[in-house]
Amino acid sequence: MSRIRIVYTVVIAFALAFPYITPDPDFWVSSGGARALWLGVTALSMSFLNRNLGLMSLGQLFFSGVTGYIVAISSVYHNVKFGTSVPLGILAGTLSGVIIGYIALKTKGVYFFMLTLAVTLGLYSFANQAQEITHGHTGINSIPSPIILGMDFAYTKPLYYLFLAIAVFLFAACKFLESTSFGIALKGVRDNEDRMISMGYRTMPLKMIAFVFSSFIASISGVMGVFYVTNISPDSVGLLRSIDLLVIVVVGGATYLGGAFVGAVLIAVFEAIIQDFTQYYVAATGILFIVVLMLAPQGLMGITAQLRARRTIKANS
Amino acid sequence: MEYPGGGVSMTQFIFTFLNGITLAGLYFLVASGLTLIFGLMRVINLAHGAFYLLAGYVSWTIADKTDNWFYGALAGSLTLGVFGTLVYVLLLRKFQYEELRVALITLGVSLVLAQAMLAIFGGEYYQTNIPKNLSKSVPIPGFELSYPFFRIFVLILAILVAVGLWIFISKTRYGAIIRAGVDDTSMVSALGINVQAVFIWIFFLGSVLVGFAGAVGATTNSFGMGTDGDYLLFSLQVVIIGGLGSIGGVAIGSFLVGVIGQFATGYFPTYAGIITFTMLILVLAFRPQGILGRKQ
Repeated sequence: MSRIRIVYTVVIAFALAFPYITPDPDFWVSSGGARALWLGVTALSMSFLNRNLGLMSLGQLFFSGVTGYIVAISSVYHNVKFGTSVPLGILAGTLSGVIIGYIALKTKGVYFFMLTLAVTLGLYSFANQAQEITHGHTGINSIPSPIILGMDFAYTKPLYYLFLAIAVFLFAACKFLESTSFGIALKGVRDNEDRMISMGYRTMPLKMIAFVFSSFIASISGVMGVFYVTNISPDSVGLLRSIDLLVIVVVGGATYLGGAFVGAVLIAVFEAIIQDFTQYYVAATGILFIVVLMLAPQGLMGITAQLRARRTIKANS
Repeated sequence: MEYPGGGVSMTQFIFTFLNGITLAGLYFLVASGLTLIFGLMRVINLAHGAFYLLAGYVSWTIADKTDNWFYGALAGSLTLGVFGTLVYVLLLRKFQYEELRVALITLGVSLVLAQAMLAIFGGEYYQTNIPKNLSKSVPIPGFELSYPFFRIFVLILAILVAVGLWIFISKTRYGAIIRAGVDDTSMVSALGINVQAVFIWIFFLGSVLVGFAGAVGATTNSFGMGTDGDYLLFSLQVVIIGGLGSIGGVAIGSFLVGVIGQFATGYFPTYAGIITFTMLILVLAFRPQGILGRKQ
């Protein structure tokens, strides 16, 4: 067995056993485990784009938000069953990725970043203003939990295992896509788009597929958010939440798929613990973010590579 | 936003237009600092909304204590100038040429600032009093209506700042040094000019502008928790539509976002966000770099 396989096996075995070995399971399975998996899946959609296209997108919460609002509104006010509203919501979130992607993929780097941030903030202001549809600032509360095959997901353990299954499936799907010829072509676009074009590739469809796939992941995380938090309000897609997500991706390591989950676990645990010591945990997260950006821009997953590079430089000089 | 007067549709139309164009003046003041710093230094400051809100709090506090609006505006501008320069020197300067990393760090700054301001000033909303000698109404020629003078004053200020910036950057020796320093840092240093100092002054000026905008905006609109995100969104919309890095682009972007945004809010309140958003998408579909932006 290769080293990476061993790591995967250990991580999954630990995740499966987690509800039974953690102290204070009532708190940690929900506020630590399920929350980290939900945030991790949202962050995964961002890492996937950054890793394969070199684009940092803050639009992921837009897709999550569109899906989340559709599921919440249809189930609370129109008594639509989750069996209908969840697929429809995910479809709508993914399709909105086609529109946003068509515009945003014409830009690069910091422009792309700004544009996707504006998209998410735009949804925030719409959700605040459109009282008739979104109930404005109060949002939509007491969203019921899904019951699948007689199992009630209002309990933390079933919800945790459902989230774990989703996370493992999506992570594997990302890994699989990266190993196909499509994934390799994407890396070509990331590294040198002009050369790919002159080699005869049509790069826009490649980029669109990657973007829409990432909005699909973000849409799924929107459903997870609705089930986990059981409410949705403009703050679910606000500036603070967007930055929170960015913190997760950057702290974990923005060029690694696993970084999304490493960052999500770290931030979930960090915030759960620090809440007991200071009410200013958002500021503490911000400071952690700035420190990581200044000292280890590759994040936790990249620290070994960074140290190795530094050692090589020292050895050569 | 409410309109003074109201009633007949023509009245509503005129007030919506005046509100829109004076709001455009405020947007111009807010976004000009952002675009100035980016256009000259390629540094994008996403703590811009938080800077705006901080200036609002500082100017409100000083204006309230001294009972003088102008002291408040001065304090807001200078505090932000110093604060912005510190952020640049301590956190950003080292990575100035890594655009995305700088953008991320400034987002972290905005997170810390937002919480610090919430801790100090709480969740209430404030609004600075209009200076007494400016708190009058002016008649609108041709109609039996009047409009608050202070809002017109904001528009005049914006036009003055726009002309001033344009003259400063394209007509003066300092402007020439700044433009040269951005295009070829090492050549300008070789001529004996301290480029690092030039960059610090640009950042100072850009932050003073947002500080001043915060003081003005705190007088025309109420502000508080969440205002930072709103104004970051307005600034981004303005510079994305107009084209990042161009003063003329900010003027056009402010006009469109201000006027169309006001008409949307006045006539279709539920869908105002979608209308502004559609405008943004439409502009970008045809000109990804914005109306006056240079090709990336």
